[in-house]
Amino acid sequence: MEPQTQASRSSDPIIQVRNLRKTYYHGKLVALDNVSLDIPQKQVAVIIGPSGSGKSTLLRCLNYLETPDSGDVIVDGISLSTTEQLAKVRAEIGMVFQQFNLFPHLTVLDNIMVAQRIVRKRNRDDAERTAKELLAKVGIADKGNSHPGQLSGGQQQRVAIARALAMQPKIMLFDEPTSALDPEMIKEVLDVMLQLAQDGMTMVVVSHEMGFARNAADRVIFMDEGAIIEDTTPKELFDAPKHDRTREFLGKILH
Amino acid sequence: MLLDDTSRLTEHRLTRAEARDWRLVAAAFGALLLLVSYALPLFGQRISSATTEFSGGTVIEREYPVLVHEQHFAQTKRPIGEQLVSVEITTEQVSLAESTGYGWMAQIVQDSEGALRHLSMLLMMGLPLVSAVIAIALVGQSWRGPSGVPEALIPISIQLAALSVPGLFLAWFHQFDFSFLLLEQSAGALMPGVGFWLAMAASVTTAVSLFSLRNETRREIVNWWALVLAVVLVIWLLVRFRPFPYLEIWRFINDGILVTLRIVSTSFGLMLLVSLLGGLGRISSNRVINFVASLYVELVRGIPLLVQLLFIWFALPQVFNVIGAALLSVPLLEGAGQWLIDLRLDPFTAAVLGLTVCYGAYGAEIFRAGISSIHKGQMEAARSVGMSYVQAMRFVILPQAARVILPPVGNEFVALLKDSSLVSVLAVSDLTRRGREYMSRTFLSFDTWIMVALCYLVLTLFSSRMVELIESKTRFER
Repeated sequence: MEPQTQASRSSDPIIQVRNLRKTYYHGKLVALDNVSLDIPQKQVAVIIGPSGSGKSTLLRCLNYLETPDSGDVIVDGISLSTTEQLAKVRAEIGMVFQQFNLFPHLTVLDNIMVAQRIVRKRNRDDAERTAKELLAKVGIADKGNSHPGQLSGGQQQRVAIARALAMQPKIMLFDEPTSALDPEMIKEVLDVMLQLAQDGMTMVVVSHEMGFARNAADRVIFMDEGAIIEDTTPKELFDAPKHDRTREFLGKILH
Repeated sequence: MLLDDTSRLTEHRLTRAEARDWRLVAAAFGALLLLVSYALPLFGQRISSATTEFSGGTVIEREYPVLVHEQHFAQTKRPIGEQLVSVEITTEQVSLAESTGYGWMAQIVQDSEGALRHLSMLLMMGLPLVSAVIAIALVGQSWRGPSGVPEALIPISIQLAALSVPGLFLAWFHQFDFSFLLLEQSAGALMPGVGFWLAMAASVTTAVSLFSLRNETRREIVNWWALVLAVVLVIWLLVRFRPFPYLEIWRFINDGILVTLRIVSTSFGLMLLVSLLGGLGRISSNRVINFVASLYVELVRGIPLLVQLLFIWFALPQVFNVIGAALLSVPLLEGAGQWLIDLRLDPFTAAVLGLTVCYGAYGAEIFRAGISSIHKGQMEAARSVGMSYVQAMRFVILPQAARVILPPVGNEFVALLKDSSLVSVLAVSDLTRRGREYMSRTFLSFDTWIMVALCYLVLTLFSSRMVELIESKTRFER
């Protein structure tokens, strides 16, 4: 079951979510309630919804950082609930966190190189070349030898994106990537994401940035209380929401 | 990012207002006096020979100067119980070449045999000189404006000037080359010259004036490394000037220091391993592993180390015997049973085992706390790029946890060093046991335990400083 052969085989959705259920506190809190979802290759999907609606949980289930109670996620033909090689699948799925989660004891370059070296087994020169290219791509080529603590939030988040991209993933997951940023830094991160979307990356983004959803997304998914309420194009969802709860939510955040 | 203090230290220079300060004037005056004192005779006379008579009839005659080991030999020949009856000394004039410039250069040329002695003398007599040079450079710079002498040199100059005072006294004692016993008898005949008192006064002036100056600049004056050196100096002084009994005690117990260090370093290395495994076990989500690790920590921490050591040394062989005997009747396991019956723990192994088991339990808690203190997002980020749990621990979590763990583990090391004295009950010839052996032989309880305490003090103080040093080198910005 090599991921490479699976990818080239068909135009099957690269992510298939099947009847996912996740509860916390011994079943008292239902975070995901029987969610199913297909995401084809090269699609940019934005998940929106009020806090506590399960959107982050759903995203974190896509690479099994959260283990669901039941149901399955199939990435590139591999079922995550049964695979023995979860780490191998995760290497194909880049993830960007709200709190960046850079490794503070390493330099920016080492942050981007460490996984290439020990997971992809690349030699030092190759890893460093890739890291420098990616830093240039996200616009902070001069910060390679700094430590994360010396960078602004926006710069840190761009390093985090570069770190994920260094693994050459097939899919990128973004978990509220701009929520912890000062307003003036949001754009620099969104620009990088926009560029990534135009390059044809398969992306699943949990975000409150409606502008990004409108401009870059192929599809917007509205979630509430652990279920997908509406799943359509950005134009339809923002201009003509079908569901009451969607209208209520949009009314609150769009003013 | 490693913190680099040196650039900050060199930034602040003395201002013009500071330059007109009376304290600077006093410092310059003291430093100049120090230089002048180098041109004056420090000592007028020295002992050329001495005859010592004891109450039992023993008479010791010697020519001076004598080497340290000869002196010890003569001292220990003194019959125990005999009292000093009289000391007769003959003195001779010290030549001008020997007494000026603190006399050390001439002596080094004359006497190459006592190289070590003269090296220590050179250090002691050189302190005032170096201090004077630094003080003059500092004062000169503040009067002429900044010229690159960093202000960080102020505390160094103060420490050197302050150390010069006992250093000068030591240099004086060097002239006698004998114990305090003889010193008391001959001090009146060998008063130091005017250069000595001048140098003394100048050192005090420089130290005090620079010290009051730096109070304003709020630079840290106390360098705790100096305390380590001070304790070493005390040991050296005792051995040097009171060879009986201190040189003898030192010769008797110094192999115990090596045994103590071997036990401590071995058990500390093993303890780190046990702590890591214990700590990982305590945070494991596997219930069995977690329970075993927690049980280990709770049980071991509840039993005194001394009791654990006694159990391992006296009771464990019996336990092995019983288990071994039981295994003998089990088919296929006779070999293992016989091995257990034949197993003998030597004292060293038992000591290391006891210390490792006990301190591993405390260490496990430190490791658990250190690892848990790393934000869980770090583990998630590491796993999300495809690292395994072990890889994430190895490359992401533990390097960060190490910086949290280091200070308490350093404390554990010092505690382990001190508690290693308990293994003396297991027939291990460590520092404490050697001290006890010497004491039971000579009944010199005060001198023996002072010496043992000082040896432990040097080891613990040195370890604490090293821990601090490593800590400051491994800090990074969050």
